[in-house]
Amino acid sequence: MNWERLLKIDRRVIFLTMALAIILPLLFPIRLTMGVQRVTRNLFQAVEAIDPARQCLLISTDYTPQTEPENHPMAKALMRHGFARRVPVLVNALYVEGAPLIDQAITEVMGDFNARATSREDSILYGRDIVYLGWQPPPIVPILAMGESITGIYPDDYYGNRTDSLEVMRRIRNYADVGIVVAITPLSSPLWYVQFAQTKYGVKVGAGCTAVCAPDFYPYCATGQLSGMMAGMKGAAEYEELVEQKYRTGGRLKATEGMASQSAAHVLIMVFVILGNVAYFAMRRKS
Amino acid sequence: MRWACILCLLTLPAGWAAAQEGAAVGGAPVETAVAGADAGEAPLGQPAEPAPPAPFPAPAGATARDKPNDGGGAIAIRWQPVPGAMAYRIERAGEDGAFVPVGAASALENAYEDRVEDGVAYRYRVVALGPAGEEGASPATLPARSRPQWFNGDLTGVALSVVAFILVVAWFIRRARRGEQLFVRRIAGLEAVDEAVGRATEMGRPVLYIPGTGRIEDIATVASMNVLGEIAKKTAEFGTPILVPNRDPVVFTVSREVVKGAYTAAGRPDAYDPNSVFFLVENSLAFAAAVDGIMVRERPATNFLLGSFFAESLILAEVGASTGAIQIAGTDQVPQLPFFVVACDYTLMGEELYAASAYLSREPLMLGALKGQDAGKLLFMALLVAGTIFSLITGLDAGWLLSTSGY
Amino acid sequence: MKDKLPLILLIVVGFMGLTDRFLPHPAPEHLNQYMRDTLLRIISAFALILGLGNLILRHMNRIRKKSTDWPHSYTLLISFFVASVIGLFGGVAGELWFPTRVGTFDFNITTIYNQMLIPLGASMFSLLAFYMASAAYRSFRARNWLAILLLGSAFIVMLGQVPIGYRISPAIPEISQWIMEVPNTAAKRGIELGITLGVLATFLKILSGIERSWLGSGR
Repeated sequence: MNWERLLKIDRRVIFLTMALAIILPLLFPIRLTMGVQRVTRNLFQAVEAIDPARQCLLISTDYTPQTEPENHPMAKALMRHGFARRVPVLVNALYVEGAPLIDQAITEVMGDFNARATSREDSILYGRDIVYLGWQPPPIVPILAMGESITGIYPDDYYGNRTDSLEVMRRIRNYADVGIVVAITPLSSPLWYVQFAQTKYGVKVGAGCTAVCAPDFYPYCATGQLSGMMAGMKGAAEYEELVEQKYRTGGRLKATEGMASQSAAHVLIMVFVILGNVAYFAMRRKS
Repeated sequence: MRWACILCLLTLPAGWAAAQEGAAVGGAPVETAVAGADAGEAPLGQPAEPAPPAPFPAPAGATARDKPNDGGGAIAIRWQPVPGAMAYRIERAGEDGAFVPVGAASALENAYEDRVEDGVAYRYRVVALGPAGEEGASPATLPARSRPQWFNGDLTGVALSVVAFILVVAWFIRRARRGEQLFVRRIAGLEAVDEAVGRATEMGRPVLYIPGTGRIEDIATVASMNVLGEIAKKTAEFGTPILVPNRDPVVFTVSREVVKGAYTAAGRPDAYDPNSVFFLVENSLAFAAAVDGIMVRERPATNFLLGSFFAESLILAEVGASTGAIQIAGTDQVPQLPFFVVACDYTLMGEELYAASAYLSREPLMLGALKGQDAGKLLFMALLVAGTIFSLITGLDAGWLLSTSGY
Repeated sequence: MKDKLPLILLIVVGFMGLTDRFLPHPAPEHLNQYMRDTLLRIISAFALILGLGNLILRHMNRIRKKSTDWPHSYTLLISFFVASVIGLFGGVAGELWFPTRVGTFDFNITTIYNQMLIPLGASMFSLLAFYMASAAYRSFRARNWLAILLLGSAFIVMLGQVPIGYRISPAIPEISQWIMEVPNTAAKRGIELGITLGVLATFLKILSGIERSWLGSGR
């Protein structure tokens, strides 16, 4: 056997097999059962604990189109959870580049709910059940300023409405009325909320992050500074499942759909690592 | 912030005593009003209330007091939970004396924070709600006024530890000022800087310096600017071209000044090329794509990746590795460290990045600060061990500990 | 004075930032808020103008000097100019006076965002999967016991993060979570403790004027 060749597989071969491992399960979907991690369940419970009569769920996003496949399902799953529980949902964008994505998510999830609604009470109404606060730069400014007044730092929403004229904003003033802030990020915005908003105003914080950032947030989950977390696409899929099991909200569960693909990619990386090691040891023995 | 929590652990005795007394540490005098013990006393000036739908045990020990250690505008209400209660309704009476509902708490809660106007006296009562709609109202608390505090007493331990750390660093700087020789351990990545710049000179290729994708408010970016100054001095001395692409416009303006200043300090202001420091794009992955293009096109012999890096770290490091460049990376973003370790020749981990400029410049005062930092770390580690032992012996739980530090 | 003025400004603003954590009173809070909400934004806006000016000048220079792959600079300048005109005069969804519709084809900022920025951005991020596979294959060698331990942990975490791990054994996600919560947290806390003290020491060095490279003074 030519071990040297196995030790030096052309990177283009690796790239091609990886592409196939990702694309094929998307074309031929397989449904895989999965367990739910403790951190995901904790986040779900924290949103469950919000009192719809006096609190809201604040979804803070700072993701951009780059991490849309991983972060977008998290935002949608949270919106579904909030809508199903009739908890008012506020959404903001910390970077302008991601702002239109949130608009898409709101339109899609509202559409799913309203398609099944039979009355005005059943429907999800903008201004009553959800408000998209839009974008205010730089990120640190709204994070701190929302502790004093949300309508103060966001006088107009994403669509140009005066926020103080919206029904739900008459009772949601600042972090005191926010049940939990869930920061969805490919960076570290949950930590900004912990450092600035939680230490100063005591608001609960949760996270939805790309898998690569997750190790950064586990210590904060252990101390309780983060109430829970969706770690990567797997975390998003788990949250989708939890919401779907309890509320049967329907709609496309895109993170769950991506699980087979992600499984294949992880297994392939492991295969490559094993191949590399087998060849390495064979070569070492030979020499 | 976690080290701050650890420090608070060490200030527990004082915090514990203060908590027991119900006093605000270092803040303004706290007005506390207790009801329940004196439940027999009828609240003055309170209008007659309609009888509750059905009797239910009332919460005892309801208190209202100014929320300590805040900027004002809040009164904290506490009560003893009532077994069987489904929820609680909090009612407030202002100067007119009439009670109106202001909020609710679940059966699991025994505290509520009310947002109010500073300086106005408010009284509260807590109504326990039974399963069949029964109600039991606590006696009204004595008036409480909210007011802002100048100092957040919850952070006394943190403030003291910051001062202690400053003193330790200042002491070492003083020792360095006196001319004392201070030993600093070898850092392989920084030892290799001269060799890396020299290699680029020999090969007649440029040095690429990427100051991360963070903003100027990230301390790693500031540290990177300091290192850039030292490396730019070396490229100026060796006459090697340096390329500094930037993702953030503010960082771009700073790095341009740093490189220009370094060339002047090295006595080669004429060699400074204003086009060597440039802004690319704010989007981090587009920035990575553009830098990858530079790596492939310009074939720099040495790549420095020092600063704050996020998802783009591996994209930059892998392409750099494929061009055969020597790569020295460093970041304080812990999740990115494994990517740099596998794809770069040398990696500065966390605080090594902050130490880099002192290490490279060998300036006594900077080395003094570095030694002070190490001594501070040693001090904190000792306190951490002592605090852990104290916690194990006293059995105080971490949750309570965190609450005293403001979390 | 050129050196001293920025240093004085830094000391004042630095101390204000530091005290912001400890002084909850509205007076310092409002001053800090004004600096964050207003001054920081003005500085960022001017810096962006400088950055964009530099970008355009640099690429015009590249074209003039016929540097390596100079035609690419045309792509950048034309894209920049077209997107700016469409955005500034056509509006986000074509609501302004500049025509952004030809027949059934829209080319407003929303179209650029949806049809170009999103797929291009996602493609760039997805490169990570390929680079990770290649880097892991090249560098992950079980050379000694510690490396074997690392490799074993990596396999458990990789399996624990996908449903197939649960399928093999429900214990795998549990062990994976334990690895993330205990050894990972322990290592991370150690590194972060050093980082936090390093941040504070850097802050002190800058504040005391020992570290001045960032001023561009060359010291």
